[in-house]
Amino acid sequence: MFARVKTYKALARGVVLESIRRKDLWVVAILGFLILIGSGALGFFGVDGMQVFVKDLAVTVLGAFSTIVAVMTSTRLLPEEIKQRTLYPLLARPISRLDLLIGKLAGAIAVTWLAFFLLASLTSVALLSFHVRFEAIMVQYMVAKMMGLALMCAFGVMLSVYMTPSAAATTAFVFTFGSSILIRAMTSAYEVASPGMQFVFKFINAILPQFTLFDMGGRAANVGWDPVPMWVMAFLLVYLVIYGSGLVTIAWTRFNRRAL
Amino acid sequence: MSDAILVEDLQVRYRSKKGRWIEAVKGLSFQVAPGEVVGFLGPNGAGKSSTLKALMGFVAPNSGRCEIFGISAGTLAAKSRIGYLPEVAMYYPYLNPVETLMLYGELQGLGGKKLKEETHHLLEVVGLKDAKKKLNKSLSKGMLQRVGIAQSLLGDPDLLILDEVTSGLDPVGRKELRHLLLERKNAGATLFFSSHELSEVDMLCDRILLINQGKMVEERLMAPLKDELRNYSIAFRGQAPLHDLTQDLDAQGEIHRARFQTKDALMQAVARVQAAGGELVDIVSQEGSLEDYFINTIERAA
Repeated sequence: MFARVKTYKALARGVVLESIRRKDLWVVAILGFLILIGSGALGFFGVDGMQVFVKDLAVTVLGAFSTIVAVMTSTRLLPEEIKQRTLYPLLARPISRLDLLIGKLAGAIAVTWLAFFLLASLTSVALLSFHVRFEAIMVQYMVAKMMGLALMCAFGVMLSVYMTPSAAATTAFVFTFGSSILIRAMTSAYEVASPGMQFVFKFINAILPQFTLFDMGGRAANVGWDPVPMWVMAFLLVYLVIYGSGLVTIAWTRFNRRAL
Repeated sequence: MSDAILVEDLQVRYRSKKGRWIEAVKGLSFQVAPGEVVGFLGPNGAGKSSTLKALMGFVAPNSGRCEIFGISAGTLAAKSRIGYLPEVAMYYPYLNPVETLMLYGELQGLGGKKLKEETHHLLEVVGLKDAKKKLNKSLSKGMLQRVGIAQSLLGDPDLLILDEVTSGLDPVGRKELRHLLLERKNAGATLFFSSHELSEVDMLCDRILLINQGKMVEERLMAPLKDELRNYSIAFRGQAPLHDLTQDLDAQGEIHRARFQTKDALMQAVARVQAAGGELVDIVSQEGSLEDYFINTIERAA
């Protein structure tokens, strides 16, 4: 078990180091800096009653940019390994393809979380400059978001095993950004559908990862809202573990049989 | 004792982009004994890389058996005994050679101070002492090949599988590599490599396997093959009856020259020239061309 963890750590460190040196995270830092300046300007002019708007804007921007990082990082990792032929010396070591998959996923999650931390830190500074109180729900929003980002990474890695990198990224964006629209559309269609189709909708709803579950942005944007009960957070963690493992298994099923 | 490599009736097929099945390896069988140095030769598309990939578990054979030291090829136990150099060695562009080797070392199960020392030692051995902190993306093709060679030697593996080992190396690099591989051979490691550089094969191998179109064409020990390829010739003045020993005779002025396939024929010719009162001007024993042998054998097989 310890050897496995060491393997995942080594693989994930490689991904993070490459990402930092490729300056992927610089883009995130610049975006965060722009948020900071923008919010600082609003704070400077002292616009009253804008706290909710600014908080809403901050969590939306935070969510959007971290989702972009999660999707772009996770969908290109394995295809790049195959294209650049860096996969061969890795798999020549005594590690299995599942180990490689998990190690790379851990790397994608680490990069995404790093970007999220960077953005969240800058956003927090911006909010504080706006005299916005940092409530417990905000912390819960961030923890839930991080779990959601991990699930997005697993989804992205899974898609990249079955599709080209651009197709995987597009599909991942549709399911992450369009998740709420998709579910709303299915809910509307469900009400008028035949019993057979209702079963199909239920089935699709059950198997698709529900990224919106992890988005507490709307709740966090409001002022004075109570934090959610801890069992909700525990449920999210269990959901992440079950769906994350499922997505890795689906990816491994294909990747393990693939001729390299 | 188990063979270092055992390949039995190996078949590897790929599906092309057009959906057609392509048979890359067609019922290949061979063994490599522990401590042996074996060259795996064949023209482009002969099935060398596919065979090596099957040995590494990168492709699953459609039928047949591949074993490494008696363990099924591609398993973690088998891979733990192999050092592998891929045909086109590419390494993470934003890592430097030290970080690259540390990464592979950790995946090999090595770690700590020992891995650090081995990493620096290997990079020094392959001539990358001054470039070990440069990012891989700034290294030349030859330098990247050296990184590849260094990573394949990590953990002192019992078996080295090297695909196109001299690719990208300059003559100095090739000489250094030869020295390095001979050191590993003397230390008891088994070497199995493919190369288009027949001079390297000539200098390193105990045995060669020649394949074409996915099938074994010839399997030869190097020493007898070299003897067989050796050319012998004499130059002499005077007359001597040599027509039953060779047809390859010519004359320039009063000097006659005769070429022979075997050492026996040469010795007989020398005796006849001397018995006939002729004067020997020159006796030459020349190594034959492995390249000619390679081309002729492949052409014959095709």
